Amino acid sequence: MFLINCPYCGERDQSEFSCGGEAHIIRPKQPTELSDDQWAEYLFMRKNIKGVQFERWNHAHGCRKWFNMVRDTKNDKIHAVYKMGEKPPVE
Amino acid sequence: MLNQEYPKFEKGSFEGIEISLSEPNVKINLRGKKKEFFTKIGKILSIILPIEPNTSSSNQQYNTLWLSPDEWLVYFNGEDRQLFNNLFNEISKLNFGSVVDVSNQWICINIKGNKTFDLLSSGSPFNYESFKKTKNSVTQTLLNHTDVIIHHKEINEINLFVRRSFSEDLWLWIKDSARFI
Repeated sequence: MFLINCPYCGERDQSEFSCGGEAHIIRPKQPTELSDDQWAEYLFMRKNIKGVQFERWNHAHGCRKWFNMVRDTKNDKIHAVYKMGEKPPVE
Repeated sequence: MLNQEYPKFEKGSFEGIEISLSEPNVKINLRGKKKEFFTKIGKILSIILPIEPNTSSSNQQYNTLWLSPDEWLVYFNGEDRQLFNNLFNEISKLNFGSVVDVSNQWICINIKGNKTFDLLSSGSPFNYESFKKTKNSVTQTLLNHTDVIIHHKEINEINLFVRRSFSEDLWLWIKDSARFI
């Protein structure tokens, strides 16, 4: 259990949110030109880092807005929360 | 066919808590970002939509609740659907935003008494400490694993909106929990 600071509603319990997986995955501009392997790579292959990870989250039981989060998966420490479309504050 | 009858909940009175069904209410969901959207709302409702998160605004007739940066819930007592028709014709039809009548989707339960927030805290992950001190605050959270919208109408009095299909289960949970607070 940990608290997440929703960029729209403020600090809420993690149980109100759902994780949408890795953030900043760019859709290929010409999917038809990709091989099956490249398409599968884009669709399914995700990093599973033990450490700091960029993730998408949804405030499912609140404002229902999506946002991005930088979270350390080792200890659930949240380094940053930022809105969709904003640049990641840390690299 | 859609069952438009309201659930038959009997009033409950417990030590420090009173629970009652607050229906019929008209509830309208508003979504929009355009300047014209806000202008039309202001004209029709004579109210400024709250843009600060977790707040509400009210006049003698209408209550408007902030749900997200581009979404609001308007509710008022009665069954008059004329307001919905006005909003729909002036906003939805002209593509300034979206107006949806959700009167039959949500059930409004009124809870009052000095133990109201003790009851809510017993089944919710939300921290009510600052919420209970602020009149007209609004939150969307979970109560007994059910999505709810809570409008802090008066001190120690809330209007709780729950989806119709979950309302009976939540009503029973509230009555049950109120006995042990």
